[in-house]
Amino acid sequence: MPVIVMASPKGGVGKSTCAVLLASEFARMGADVTALDCDPNKSLTRWASHGLPKGVTLHSDVGRSEIVTTIKNADGDGKIVIVDLEGVASQLVSRAISQADLVIVPMQPTALDAEIGSEALALVREEEEALGRTIRHAVVLTKTSAAVKSRVQKELENQLRGAGIDIIEPSLVARAAFSELFAYGGDLTSMLNNSEIVTGGKVDKAILNATAFTEAVYERLK
Amino acid sequence: MSGSNRLAGLTARPKDTGPAEVRKIDDVGEARGFVDRTPRKKPGRKPSPRTYQLHPKVFPGVGEAISAEAERLGITQGQLIELMWSQYQEPLEG
Repeated sequence: MPVIVMASPKGGVGKSTCAVLLASEFARMGADVTALDCDPNKSLTRWASHGLPKGVTLHSDVGRSEIVTTIKNADGDGKIVIVDLEGVASQLVSRAISQADLVIVPMQPTALDAEIGSEALALVREEEEALGRTIRHAVVLTKTSAAVKSRVQKELENQLRGAGIDIIEPSLVARAAFSELFAYGGDLTSMLNNSEIVTGGKVDKAILNATAFTEAVYERLK
Repeated sequence: MSGSNRLAGLTARPKDTGPAEVRKIDDVGEARGFVDRTPRKKPGRKPSPRTYQLHPKVFPGVGEAISAEAERLGITQGQLIELMWSQYQEPLEG
């Protein structure tokens, strides 16, 4: 089954949030998900320390020398592999991209994120040439406003589309529930159903957003 | 979105994982600034856990014999004393 890699040389763009949402949503759909935490900040490991959703297995501290074999070993029938990478330009990132069926480049709608994120997109294209195979890739805009689409976001979307870059719709809205997943573990549904969890945001809206995002990713994996 | 039936249709394409392909990808990445950033290990010998120091004075012949035996065994004089100590303790414990 597919290998999905979250890549951007910039930190804080939402790679780990995308990874957690996809891992928990695909697990909810019935997939056997293997998540690889390759980020020295260990965001996924912190999330897992509070409890993993059923169907998700996590491998922590996956480094440059073992990334290719770890992905190969984790891949198999009925399994989805999700790789969360570090926010730097490293060989670990380029090696992980070479093993991907889909590379997702999260980007906040800012010029800086777009500029640095485009390095990952360029790398994917160069790896496609070197390997002689297509590596599907797409941008997802993150931490967007739920109320309005900013002028900068519209311009960025136009530029990306103009450059022939696939944009995953919907974007991931700035939701407190997404960031609180790392404090509570599990998935958004367990967060919604647990009355002891106090969140500052609308979990139901977050679930709708995460489900639609996962559906859009699923469409790209077919 | 429901059920694993939909997911069953998802397949992974075979990928090249050989050393030649990995080297090729490393070259492509390095040309774009995606270099090896694995933290380097601290250089030099790791500190020994043997921190206690003895200062025994022995007859020259005994000292030379201990030194020669340690060298013959390829161990330090401290390790040789540890061996001797454990053998000295054996009959006491038995």
